Amino acid sequence: MLKVIIGFIAGIALLGIVGFNTAGSFMMVEHESPYGIEETAARIQANIQKMSHRGWTLSGLRDPSKAVANSGRNVPPVLLVEACSTDYSGVLLADDQARILSIMMPCTITIYKKEDGKTYIGTMNSGLMGRLFGKKVAAVMDEVAKDQAEFLKFDDSEPAPPLIRVKPGGGSAGGPEAAGC
Amino acid sequence: MFTKDQLIAPVLGIAIAMALLVATPAGATAPPAVAEPVAEKSKSTADHSKFEELDINFKSGPEVTQACLKCHTEAAKQIHKTKHWSWEYTNPVTGQKLGKKNVINNFCTSVTSNNSFCSACHIGYGWADDSFDFTSEANVDCIVCHDTTGNYKKLPGLSGHPNYETMEWPPHSGKFRPPTDLKKIAQNVGPTSRKTCGTCHFRGGGGDAVKHGDLDSSLENPGRYLDVHMDSEGLNFSCSRCHVTDEHEVSGSRYAVTAADEKGVLIPGSQDTRNPTTCVACHGNTPHPDKMAKLNDHTRKLACQTCHIPAYARSTLQTKMSWDWSTAGKLDEQGHRIQLKNSAGKVVYDSKKGNFTYDRYVVPEYQWFNGEVKFTLFGDKVSDDEVVKINDFQGDADDPDARIWPVRVFRGKQMYDKGLQTLAVMHTAGEDDAAFWGNYDWDKAMEWGMRAAGSEYSGELGFVSTEMSWPITHMVSPKEDALGCESCHTDGGRLAGIEGIYLPARDRMPLIDTIGFGLALLALIGVLIHGGIRVILAKREG
Repeated sequence: MLKVIIGFIAGIALLGIVGFNTAGSFMMVEHESPYGIEETAARIQANIQKMSHRGWTLSGLRDPSKAVANSGRNVPPVLLVEACSTDYSGVLLADDQARILSIMMPCTITIYKKEDGKTYIGTMNSGLMGRLFGKKVAAVMDEVAKDQAEFLKFDDSEPAPPLIRVKPGGGSAGGPEAAGC
Repeated sequence: MFTKDQLIAPVLGIAIAMALLVATPAGATAPPAVAEPVAEKSKSTADHSKFEELDINFKSGPEVTQACLKCHTEAAKQIHKTKHWSWEYTNPVTGQKLGKKNVINNFCTSVTSNNSFCSACHIGYGWADDSFDFTSEANVDCIVCHDTTGNYKKLPGLSGHPNYETMEWPPHSGKFRPPTDLKKIAQNVGPTSRKTCGTCHFRGGGGDAVKHGDLDSSLENPGRYLDVHMDSEGLNFSCSRCHVTDEHEVSGSRYAVTAADEKGVLIPGSQDTRNPTTCVACHGNTPHPDKMAKLNDHTRKLACQTCHIPAYARSTLQTKMSWDWSTAGKLDEQGHRIQLKNSAGKVVYDSKKGNFTYDRYVVPEYQWFNGEVKFTLFGDKVSDDEVVKINDFQGDADDPDARIWPVRVFRGKQMYDKGLQTLAVMHTAGEDDAAFWGNYDWDKAMEWGMRAAGSEYSGELGFVSTEMSWPITHMVSPKEDALGCESCHTDGGRLAGIEGIYLPARDRMPLIDTIGFGLALLALIGVLIHGGIRVILAKREG
């Protein structure tokens, strides 16, 4: 019996160590971009607009590195592209149990530079995160994950679109629905 | 052996722990307010608005200069001796004739035959062609460096003059610039500033942030993060604070770079005539405190800028990274000029100029540099088999005067005369019918340009890949943002391409590696033997 208890505790400890060291990489996904910061963000914005039939609108473009710079520090550039689809947010916000997930709205994709001078794209692993919150949320987040994958498909033959300087909370794509996302 | 229960237990533990997994929301912070420009109050003992000599409705720039010279009698004579005036410099070591007048770069390429446009950044009036009188005092433009109103603008195509009449600018934009109010500007002259120097030096190569990478209009009013010395709410250095001026000759030319300054602090008032723009001239050769003494050892091999300027073009402005002239000249179906922009709104294709690429927050390249630069000049043999170095930085690890410098390498593809095997001088800008920007006729523009440079075009146009290096020395970060050890002392770090030195953690010594791994292996074998003997003995006794 002692061996069973020790084995059980060892299992939890092992998971704790492994989980602690790898949870971040499971929850967040990083891709290298073939483009610079602005062009990567603009191409993602253009892809989001192409997904308007799934309810997606742009709801913001933030530059958190600017705020850091204003406080006197150097950080490589970061742009946050924010988007929202009421098709999905509507389902989650209607549910008392899932409403707390509004903390993750709008859906944010980060584009940043690293020390190596390359541009990277960071996204949440929406599918995996959704599974942590029950069947209903998982179903919604699975769809979000599929759309998110479409946002990151770049067509080299297309010229670089202009970056849309949409203010957070607004709906640059014109959809007033985005303002509430 | 384990029982079935013992095997299931750890798996059950993992499953329960997964079920208990909770997420932690992150907080948010509000961005601080953006710094407002700092208005400097003049400390001058003279109020130029009270001078009768300046209370005149000036019709031209030279008229203003003549009024200035009534009091500042020696100023123009001093200016005539400077590189800012002559655009010429003879390197005392190599004997090469340099300066804007002679160097062909890989941006707009050459001043020759394009004077009326390029002279928008000359501190004179009227340099349209070779007939310009470099001895005329009235031709000196005092205002371009001493304007404090911000309303003085020398427009390309006017041979160094501002507009004296209403003028559409930019051309075909539908926007009109009123005549320059020379009286008001003359009555408000003052010391040079980041803004006045930046009129040209922030906008070299045809626009803001194009040429240098570490100089752009963000330095007119920078925050501390962008340049710790120029921080408008901190030290607020003007350019002349480091680029000390003597009789109007500005120190710190890139044609005569001091790559290593071993003489220490330059005491103000000393008779030492060395370059005062080095970091060492103020900070000395051992600038780090005793507890960081190891960093002081680094100054024997590293330029200060290598650690203290981790990246250039650190504002939101993109700097140009490459220029490909070979694609210039394409027109749309109606025969009109084409301009394409990138996502940040920068032009990436222009029929007049070809293709460009841009970037910001650029990590520099690094190379040994002893201050000597060898230029590829007009007449020097080049071929398209190799990348032509417009300017080749000299120095290596064995050179005591060389340091590892951060460098911006601007890459391009530009015209050369294939028959003569030399970089081309092309006539790009002008009102005549030979200028490329007017007719898009390569041969005509080449013929005109090469003739102006004293040669005859062979008729064979080619394009050659070029590189031009620029030492990075502005946009100095606060000390807390300087590079850490791990940026270089690692495999594939920033100094991966630097040869001639042993860099711990980047480089390996096979002998030391073998000894180290050998000792570790012997220790492991010893442990195993020891453990094995104990197990065997325990079994025998048990």
